[in-house]
Amino acid sequence: MIKDLFKAENLMFLMQGLAVTLTIAVATILLSIMIGTILGIARHSRNKALSRMSGVYIESVRNVPMLLFILAVRFMTPLNAVVSGIVAMTIFTSAVIAEIVRAGLNSIGQGQWEAAKSQGLNHVTTLVHIVLPQALRNITPALVSQFITVVKDTSFVWAVGTEELTGRAIILMGKHNNPVQVFTLFGLVAAIYFIPNYVLSHMAHWRQRKILH
Amino acid sequence: MIALKGIDKHFGHHHVLKNIHFHVKSGEKVVIIGPSGSGKSTLIRCINLLEKPSSGEVHVDGIEITAHKAPVTKVRQSIGMVFQQFNLYPHKTVLENLTLAPVLVKGVRKEEAEETGMKYLERVGLKDKAHAYPAHLSGGQQQRVAIARALNMHPKIMLFDEPTSALDPEMIQEVLDVMVDLAHDGITMVVVTHEMGFAKQVADRVIFMDEGKIIEEAKPEDFFNHPKNERARLFLSKIFR
Repeated sequence: MIKDLFKAENLMFLMQGLAVTLTIAVATILLSIMIGTILGIARHSRNKALSRMSGVYIESVRNVPMLLFILAVRFMTPLNAVVSGIVAMTIFTSAVIAEIVRAGLNSIGQGQWEAAKSQGLNHVTTLVHIVLPQALRNITPALVSQFITVVKDTSFVWAVGTEELTGRAIILMGKHNNPVQVFTLFGLVAAIYFIPNYVLSHMAHWRQRKILH
Repeated sequence: MIALKGIDKHFGHHHVLKNIHFHVKSGEKVVIIGPSGSGKSTLIRCINLLEKPSSGEVHVDGIEITAHKAPVTKVRQSIGMVFQQFNLYPHKTVLENLTLAPVLVKGVRKEEAEETGMKYLERVGLKDKAHAYPAHLSGGQQQRVAIARALNMHPKIMLFDEPTSALDPEMIQEVLDVMVDLAHDGITMVVVTHEMGFAKQVADRVIFMDEGKIIEEAKPEDFFNHPKNERARLFLSKIFR
Protein backbone atom coordinates (compact mmCIF):
# COMPACT_ATOMS: atom_id res chain seq x y z
CA MET A 1 0.00 0.00 0.00
CA ILE A 2 2.66 2.44 1.12
CA LYS A 3 4.93 1.16 -1.62
CA ASP A 4 2.17 2.00 -4.04
CA LEU A 5 2.28 5.57 -2.82
CA PHE A 6 6.03 5.99 -3.03
CA LYS A 7 6.23 5.35 -6.75
CA ALA A 8 8.72 7.49 -8.61
CA GLU A 9 6.01 9.22 -10.59
CA ASN A 10 4.10 10.16 -7.42
CA LEU A 11 7.21 11.56 -5.81
CA MET A 12 8.04 13.48 -8.95
CA PHE A 13 4.48 14.81 -8.98
CA LEU A 14 4.94 16.11 -5.43
CA MET A 15 8.38 17.56 -6.14
CA GLN A 16 6.95 19.58 -9.02
CA GLY A 17 4.42 20.91 -6.53
CA LEU A 18 7.24 21.77 -4.16
CA ALA A 19 8.97 23.65 -6.99
CA VAL A 20 5.84 25.80 -7.42
CA THR A 21 5.65 26.35 -3.65
CA LEU A 22 9.27 27.46 -3.49
CA THR A 23 8.99 29.63 -6.59
CA ILE A 24 6.06 31.53 -5.11
CA ALA A 25 7.69 31.73 -1.67
CA VAL A 26 11.11 32.92 -2.81
CA ALA A 27 9.72 35.46 -5.27
CA THR A 28 7.27 36.76 -2.65
CA ILE A 29 10.00 37.08 -0.04
CA LEU A 30 12.40 38.93 -2.35
CA LEU A 31 9.77 41.32 -3.70
CA SER A 32 8.32 41.92 -0.24
CA ILE A 33 11.72 42.77 1.23
CA MET A 34 12.21 45.45 -1.42
CA ILE A 35 8.69 46.89 -1.35
CA GLY A 36 8.29 46.43 2.41
CA THR A 37 11.57 48.21 3.15
CA ILE A 38 10.56 51.18 1.00
CA LEU A 39 7.11 51.28 2.61
CA GLY A 40 8.64 50.96 6.09
CA ILE A 41 11.02 53.84 5.45
CA ALA A 42 8.15 55.92 4.08
CA ARG A 43 6.04 55.08 7.14
CA HIS A 44 8.91 56.12 9.42
CA SER A 45 9.59 59.29 7.41
CA ARG A 46 9.09 62.76 8.83
CA ASN A 47 7.26 63.63 5.63
CA LYS A 48 3.64 63.50 6.85
CA ALA A 49 2.03 62.83 3.47
CA LEU A 50 4.44 60.01 2.66
CA SER A 51 4.05 58.47 6.08
CA ARG A 52 0.25 58.65 5.93
CA MET A 53 0.05 57.17 2.44
CA SER A 54 2.21 54.26 3.49
CA GLY A 55 0.17 53.91 6.68
CA VAL A 56 -3.10 53.68 4.76
CA TYR A 57 -1.67 50.94 2.55
CA ILE A 58 -0.26 48.97 5.45
CA GLU A 59 -3.39 49.14 7.58
CA SER A 60 -5.83 48.39 4.78
CA VAL A 61 -3.85 45.37 3.62
CA ARG A 62 -2.81 43.95 6.98
CA ASN A 63 -6.34 43.83 8.32
CA VAL A 64 -7.81 41.84 5.43
CA PRO A 65 -7.34 38.05 5.03
CA MET A 66 -4.59 37.17 2.59
CA LEU A 67 -6.86 34.58 0.96
CA LEU A 68 -9.04 37.42 -0.26
CA PHE A 69 -6.10 38.89 -2.19
CA ILE A 70 -5.26 35.50 -3.64
CA LEU A 71 -8.84 35.08 -4.89
CA ALA A 72 -9.12 38.65 -6.15
CA VAL A 73 -5.85 38.71 -8.07
CA ARG A 74 -6.48 35.29 -9.63
CA PHE A 75 -10.01 36.02 -10.77
CA MET A 76 -9.77 39.73 -11.58
CA THR A 77 -6.49 39.84 -13.49
CA PRO A 78 -5.23 37.94 -16.53
CA LEU A 79 -2.12 36.79 -14.63
CA ASN A 80 -1.30 33.07 -14.67
CA ALA A 81 -1.61 30.86 -11.62
CA VAL A 82 1.92 31.20 -10.26
CA VAL A 83 2.35 34.89 -11.01
CA SER A 84 -1.02 35.82 -9.54
CA GLY A 85 -0.07 33.92 -6.38
CA ILE A 86 3.20 35.84 -6.15
CA VAL A 87 1.45 39.19 -6.70
CA ALA A 88 -1.26 38.51 -4.14
CA MET A 89 1.14 37.27 -1.50
CA THR A 90 3.51 40.18 -2.14
CA ILE A 91 0.71 42.72 -1.68
CA PHE A 92 0.03 41.24 1.72
CA THR A 93 3.55 40.36 2.88
CA SER A 94 5.11 43.71 1.96
CA ALA A 95 2.68 45.40 4.36
CA VAL A 96 3.72 43.08 7.17
CA ILE A 97 7.41 43.59 6.41
CA ALA A 98 6.88 47.36 6.26
CA GLU A 99 5.67 47.28 9.86
CA ILE A 100 8.65 45.16 10.90
CA VAL A 101 11.07 47.57 9.18
CA ARG A 102 9.39 50.53 10.81
CA ALA A 103 9.76 48.92 14.24
CA GLY A 104 13.43 48.31 13.42
CA LEU A 105 13.98 51.94 12.46
CA ASN A 106 12.25 53.05 15.65
CA SER A 107 14.59 50.83 17.66
CA ILE A 108 17.60 52.95 16.67
CA GLY A 109 18.11 55.75 19.16
CA GLN A 110 18.17 59.44 18.33
CA GLY A 111 21.85 59.50 19.35
CA GLN A 112 22.85 57.66 16.19
CA TRP A 113 21.08 60.20 13.99
CA GLU A 114 22.65 63.05 15.92
CA ALA A 115 26.16 61.64 15.79
CA ALA A 116 25.90 61.20 12.03
CA LYS A 117 24.33 64.63 11.60
CA SER A 118 27.08 66.24 13.66
CA GLN A 119 29.63 64.74 11.27
CA GLY A 120 27.92 66.28 8.28
CA LEU A 121 26.10 63.18 6.97
CA ASN A 122 22.80 63.94 5.29
CA HIS A 123 19.54 62.14 6.02
CA VAL A 124 19.79 59.52 3.27
CA THR A 125 23.44 58.65 3.91
CA THR A 126 22.68 58.28 7.61
CA LEU A 127 19.76 56.01 6.83
CA VAL A 128 21.74 53.82 4.45
CA HIS A 129 25.03 53.57 6.35
CA ILE A 130 24.12 53.98 10.00
CA VAL A 131 20.46 53.34 10.77
CA LEU A 132 19.26 50.67 8.31
CA PRO A 133 22.14 48.22 8.89
CA GLN A 134 21.52 48.32 12.64
CA ALA A 135 17.75 48.16 12.20
CA LEU A 136 18.01 45.11 9.91
CA ARG A 137 20.10 43.30 12.49
CA ASN A 138 17.53 43.99 15.17
CA ILE A 139 14.63 42.73 13.08
CA THR A 140 16.28 39.60 11.64
CA PRO A 141 14.31 37.24 13.92
CA ALA A 142 11.00 38.93 13.09
CA LEU A 143 11.80 38.89 9.37
CA VAL A 144 12.74 35.22 9.38
CA SER A 145 9.57 34.27 11.18
CA GLN A 146 7.62 36.17 8.52
CA PHE A 147 9.54 34.34 5.77
CA ILE A 148 8.57 31.03 7.37
CA THR A 149 4.96 32.18 7.40
CA VAL A 150 5.23 32.97 3.68
CA VAL A 151 6.52 29.48 2.86
CA LYS A 152 3.65 27.90 4.77
CA ASP A 153 0.99 30.30 3.47
CA THR A 154 1.77 29.44 -0.14
CA SER A 155 -0.61 26.53 0.49
CA PHE A 156 -3.47 29.06 0.27
CA VAL A 157 -3.02 29.37 -3.51
CA TRP A 158 -4.49 25.87 -3.79
CA ALA A 159 -7.78 27.66 -3.18
CA VAL A 160 -7.61 28.98 -6.75
CA GLY A 161 -6.43 25.65 -8.14
CA THR A 162 -2.72 26.40 -8.34
CA GLU A 163 -1.00 23.07 -7.96
CA GLU A 164 1.59 23.66 -5.33
CA LEU A 165 2.76 21.10 -2.80
CA THR A 166 -0.39 20.85 -0.69
CA GLY A 167 -2.63 20.87 -3.76
CA ARG A 168 -0.73 18.05 -5.37
CA ALA A 169 -0.80 16.00 -2.19
CA ILE A 170 -4.58 16.36 -2.13
CA ILE A 171 -4.76 15.27 -5.77
CA LEU A 172 -2.73 12.18 -4.87
CA MET A 173 -5.13 11.46 -2.02
CA GLY A 174 -7.80 11.08 -4.67
CA LYS A 175 -5.94 8.09 -6.07
CA HIS A 176 -4.51 6.75 -2.82
CA ASN A 177 -7.41 7.22 -0.50
CA ASN A 178 -7.16 4.58 2.21
CA PRO A 179 -6.50 6.02 5.69
CA VAL A 180 -2.91 4.84 5.94
CA GLN A 181 -2.02 6.38 2.60
CA VAL A 182 -3.77 9.65 3.39
CA PHE A 183 -2.09 9.80 6.78
CA THR A 184 1.29 9.09 5.19
CA LEU A 185 0.74 11.77 2.57
CA PHE A 186 -0.12 14.40 5.19
CA GLY A 187 2.95 13.40 7.17
CA LEU A 188 5.14 13.56 4.09
CA VAL A 189 3.89 17.02 3.11
CA ALA A 190 4.37 18.28 6.66
CA ALA A 191 7.96 17.01 6.59
CA ILE A 192 8.61 18.68 3.25
CA TYR A 193 7.43 22.04 4.61
CA PHE A 194 9.33 21.49 7.83
CA ILE A 195 12.77 21.06 6.30
CA PRO A 196 13.27 24.40 4.48
CA ASN A 197 11.62 26.29 7.33
CA TYR A 198 13.78 24.63 9.92
CA VAL A 199 16.89 25.50 7.90
CA LEU A 200 15.68 29.09 7.62
CA SER A 201 15.13 29.54 11.34
CA HIS A 202 18.52 28.03 12.12
CA MET A 203 20.24 30.30 9.67
CA ALA A 204 18.71 33.19 11.59
CA HIS A 205 20.03 31.88 14.89
CA TRP A 206 23.45 31.40 13.41
CA ARG A 207 23.41 34.94 12.03
CA GLN A 208 22.29 36.36 15.38
CA ARG A 209 25.13 34.60 17.14
CA LYS A 210 27.64 35.86 14.61
CA ILE A 211 26.50 39.45 15.14
CA LEU A 212 26.72 39.19 18.91
CA HIS A 213 30.21 37.65 18.54
CA MET B 1 34.71 81.76 15.04
CA ILE B 2 31.32 81.21 16.67
CA ALA B 3 28.70 83.90 17.17
CA LEU B 4 25.23 83.35 18.57
CA LYS B 5 23.09 86.46 18.27
CA GLY B 6 19.83 86.85 20.14
CA ILE B 7 19.06 83.13 20.36
CA ASP B 8 15.71 82.05 21.74
CA LYS B 9 14.60 78.46 21.96
CA HIS B 10 11.19 77.17 22.94
CA PHE B 11 10.24 73.54 23.49
CA GLY B 12 6.47 73.84 23.45
CA HIS B 13 5.63 76.19 26.31
CA HIS B 14 9.08 75.78 27.78
CA HIS B 15 11.35 78.75 27.14
CA VAL B 16 14.78 77.09 27.26
CA LEU B 17 17.08 79.78 25.90
CA LYS B 18 16.34 83.45 26.41
CA ASN B 19 17.99 85.98 24.16
CA ILE B 20 21.45 84.42 24.25
CA HIS B 21 24.44 86.35 22.91
CA PHE B 22 27.55 84.24 22.82
CA HIS B 23 30.85 84.63 20.99
CA VAL B 24 33.87 82.39 20.80
CA LYS B 25 37.13 83.51 19.23
CA SER B 26 39.30 81.22 17.16
CA GLY B 27 41.41 79.02 19.43
CA GLU B 28 39.49 79.98 22.53
CA LYS B 29 38.45 77.39 25.15
CA VAL B 30 35.09 78.13 26.71
CA VAL B 31 33.55 76.08 29.47
CA ILE B 32 29.81 76.32 30.11
CA ILE B 33 28.57 75.40 33.55
CA GLY B 34 25.29 75.69 35.38
CA PRO B 35 22.59 73.67 37.12
CA SER B 36 20.73 71.00 35.18
CA GLY B 37 17.92 72.40 33.09
CA SER B 38 19.68 75.72 32.71
CA GLY B 39 19.92 75.33 28.91
CA LYS B 40 23.65 74.58 28.56
CA SER B 41 23.17 71.50 26.41
CA THR B 42 20.59 73.23 24.25
CA LEU B 43 22.98 76.14 23.80
CA ILE B 44 25.91 73.98 22.67
CA ARG B 45 23.60 72.01 20.36
CA CYS B 46 22.53 75.24 18.70
CA ILE B 47 26.11 75.80 17.53
CA ASN B 48 25.91 72.94 15.00
CA LEU B 49 22.12 73.23 14.65
CA LEU B 50 21.30 69.89 16.26
CA GLU B 51 18.72 72.19 17.84
CA LYS B 52 17.22 74.83 15.60
CA PRO B 53 16.82 78.10 17.48
CA SER B 54 13.28 79.48 17.52
CA SER B 55 14.78 82.84 16.66
CA GLY B 56 18.19 84.48 16.40
CA GLU B 57 21.27 83.88 14.29
CA VAL B 58 24.11 81.38 14.50
CA HIS B 59 27.33 82.26 12.70
CA VAL B 60 30.18 79.76 12.39
CA ASP B 61 33.42 80.68 10.72
CA GLY B 62 31.80 83.65 9.01
CA ILE B 63 28.78 81.74 7.67
CA GLU B 64 25.28 82.34 8.99
CA ILE B 65 24.06 78.76 9.26
CA THR B 66 20.59 79.80 10.40
CA ALA B 67 20.08 81.53 7.06
CA HIS B 68 17.72 80.03 4.49
CA LYS B 69 19.53 77.35 2.44
CA ALA B 70 22.76 77.79 4.38
CA PRO B 71 25.33 75.00 3.77
CA VAL B 72 24.65 73.43 7.17
CA THR B 73 25.98 69.93 6.46
CA LYS B 74 29.14 71.47 5.02
CA VAL B 75 29.71 73.64 8.08
CA ARG B 76 29.02 70.67 10.40
CA GLN B 77 32.01 68.89 8.84
CA SER B 78 34.27 71.43 10.51
CA ILE B 79 32.59 71.11 13.92
CA GLY B 80 33.38 67.96 15.87
CA MET B 81 30.96 66.94 18.59
CA VAL B 82 31.36 64.61 21.55
CA PHE B 83 28.20 63.44 23.27
CA GLN B 84 27.40 62.38 26.80
CA GLN B 85 26.36 58.91 25.59
CA PHE B 86 29.33 58.56 23.14
CA ASN B 87 27.00 57.59 20.25
CA LEU B 88 29.58 55.45 18.49
CA TYR B 89 28.29 53.41 15.55
CA PRO B 90 27.93 49.98 17.18
CA HIS B 91 27.90 48.00 13.92
CA LYS B 92 31.29 49.39 12.89
CA THR B 93 34.74 48.69 14.29
CA VAL B 94 36.61 51.45 16.06
CA LEU B 95 38.63 52.29 12.98
CA GLU B 96 35.52 52.19 10.77
CA ASN B 97 33.88 54.63 13.17
CA LEU B 98 36.75 57.00 12.49
CA THR B 99 36.83 56.61 8.72
CA LEU B 100 33.12 56.51 7.88
CA ALA B 101 32.36 60.22 7.77
CA PRO B 102 35.66 61.39 6.20
CA VAL B 103 35.18 58.88 3.37
CA LEU B 104 31.44 59.37 2.83
CA VAL B 105 31.19 63.09 3.44
CA LYS B 106 34.54 64.59 2.58
CA GLY B 107 35.54 62.08 -0.10
CA VAL B 108 38.82 61.26 1.60
CA ARG B 109 40.47 58.08 0.28
CA LYS B 110 39.90 55.15 2.62
CA GLU B 111 43.63 54.44 3.08
CA GLU B 112 44.27 58.05 3.95
CA ALA B 113 41.38 58.17 6.44
CA GLU B 114 42.69 54.98 8.04
CA GLU B 115 46.17 56.40 8.30
CA THR B 116 45.08 59.61 10.02
CA GLY B 117 42.58 57.56 12.03
CA MET B 118 45.35 55.38 13.43
CA LYS B 119 47.29 58.50 14.31
CA TYR B 120 44.38 59.84 16.35
CA LEU B 121 43.76 56.45 17.96
CA GLU B 122 47.39 56.41 19.04
CA ARG B 123 46.94 59.88 20.45
CA VAL B 124 43.98 58.81 22.60
CA GLY B 125 45.89 55.65 23.56
CA LEU B 126 43.67 53.13 21.77
CA LYS B 127 45.68 52.06 18.76
CA ASP B 128 45.43 48.43 19.82
CA LYS B 129 41.60 48.63 19.79
CA ALA B 130 41.35 49.70 16.14
CA HIS B 131 39.59 46.51 15.07
CA ALA B 132 37.45 46.00 18.16
CA TYR B 133 33.75 46.80 18.24
CA PRO B 134 32.53 49.59 20.53
CA ALA B 135 30.53 47.17 22.69
CA HIS B 136 33.80 45.57 23.78
CA LEU B 137 35.25 48.82 25.12
CA SER B 138 34.77 50.47 28.50
CA GLY B 139 32.88 53.76 28.71
CA GLY B 140 36.08 55.75 29.00
CA GLN B 141 37.57 54.01 26.00
CA GLN B 142 34.40 54.57 23.98
CA GLN B 143 34.47 58.26 24.76
CA ARG B 144 38.11 58.50 23.72
CA VAL B 145 37.19 56.78 20.44
CA ALA B 146 34.38 59.32 20.03
CA ILE B 147 36.91 62.13 20.43
CA ALA B 148 39.22 60.50 17.89
CA ARG B 149 36.26 60.04 15.53
CA ALA B 150 35.49 63.74 15.71
CA LEU B 151 39.15 64.68 15.23
CA ASN B 152 39.52 62.53 12.13
CA MET B 153 37.28 65.05 10.33
CA HIS B 154 39.99 67.65 11.07
CA PRO B 155 37.53 70.08 12.66
CA LYS B 156 38.22 73.70 13.50
CA ILE B 157 35.87 73.56 16.46
CA MET B 158 35.23 70.84 19.02
CA LEU B 159 32.01 70.74 21.04
CA PHE B 160 31.80 68.59 24.16
CA ASP B 161 28.35 68.04 25.64
CA GLU B 162 28.91 66.68 29.18
CA PRO B 163 31.53 64.20 27.93
CA THR B 164 32.23 62.65 31.32
CA SER B 165 28.76 62.65 32.88
CA ALA B 166 27.93 59.09 31.85
CA LEU B 167 31.27 57.65 32.96
CA ASP B 168 32.25 55.70 36.05
CA PRO B 169 34.42 57.89 38.29
CA GLU B 170 37.63 55.97 37.59
CA MET B 171 37.27 56.58 33.85
CA ILE B 172 36.69 60.31 33.95
CA GLN B 173 40.36 61.22 34.21
CA GLU B 174 41.46 59.33 31.09
CA VAL B 175 38.92 61.30 29.05
CA LEU B 176 39.84 64.62 30.65
CA ASP B 177 43.52 63.93 29.96
CA VAL B 178 42.76 63.58 26.26
CA MET B 179 40.74 66.81 26.34
CA VAL B 180 43.51 68.72 28.10
CA ASP B 181 46.00 67.43 25.57
CA LEU B 182 43.69 68.58 22.79
CA ALA B 183 43.32 72.02 24.35
CA HIS B 184 47.07 72.54 24.00
CA ASP B 185 46.64 72.14 20.24
CA GLY B 186 45.01 75.50 19.81
CA ILE B 187 41.72 74.12 18.51
CA THR B 188 38.56 76.07 19.39
CA MET B 189 36.70 74.26 22.17
CA VAL B 190 33.30 74.69 23.78
CA VAL B 191 32.72 72.33 26.69
CA VAL B 192 29.64 71.76 28.80
CA THR B 193 30.83 70.03 31.95
CA HIS B 194 30.62 69.70 35.70
CA GLU B 195 34.37 69.07 35.93
CA MET B 196 35.54 72.24 37.66
CA GLY B 197 39.15 71.07 37.73
CA PHE B 198 39.12 70.87 33.96
CA ALA B 199 37.53 74.32 33.71
CA LYS B 200 40.23 75.83 35.93
CA GLN B 201 42.98 74.10 34.01
CA VAL B 202 42.09 74.84 30.39
CA ALA B 203 39.29 77.40 30.13
CA ASP B 204 40.02 80.88 28.81
CA ARG B 205 36.54 81.81 29.87
CA VAL B 206 33.79 80.31 32.00
CA ILE B 207 30.12 80.87 31.20
CA PHE B 208 27.58 80.38 33.95
CA MET B 209 24.01 79.72 32.86
CA ASP B 210 20.78 79.57 34.80
CA GLU B 211 17.17 79.40 33.62
CA GLY B 212 18.05 79.84 29.96
CA LYS B 213 20.26 82.89 30.41
CA ILE B 214 23.97 83.57 30.56
CA ILE B 215 24.33 85.06 34.01
CA GLU B 216 28.03 85.40 34.41
CA GLU B 217 31.01 85.30 32.09
CA ALA B 218 34.53 85.52 33.47
CA LYS B 219 38.07 84.17 33.49
CA PRO B 220 38.12 80.94 35.51
CA GLU B 221 40.25 82.33 38.37
CA ASP B 222 37.86 85.26 38.79
CA PHE B 223 34.76 83.15 38.46
CA PHE B 224 35.79 80.45 40.91
CA ASN B 225 37.34 82.81 43.48
CA HIS B 226 35.01 85.81 43.28
CA PRO B 227 31.75 84.95 41.57
CA LYS B 228 29.74 88.13 41.22
CA ASN B 229 26.34 86.62 40.90
CA GLU B 230 24.44 85.22 43.85
CA ARG B 231 23.15 82.16 41.97
CA ALA B 232 26.64 81.37 40.72
CA ARG B 233 27.91 81.59 44.31
CA LEU B 234 25.20 79.23 45.47
CA PHE B 235 25.94 76.81 42.63
CA LEU B 236 29.67 76.79 43.41
CA SER B 237 29.08 76.34 47.12
CA LYS B 238 27.05 73.21 46.33
CA ILE B 239 29.75 71.82 44.08
CA PHE B 240 32.69 72.56 46.39
CA ARG B 241 31.21 71.33 49.66
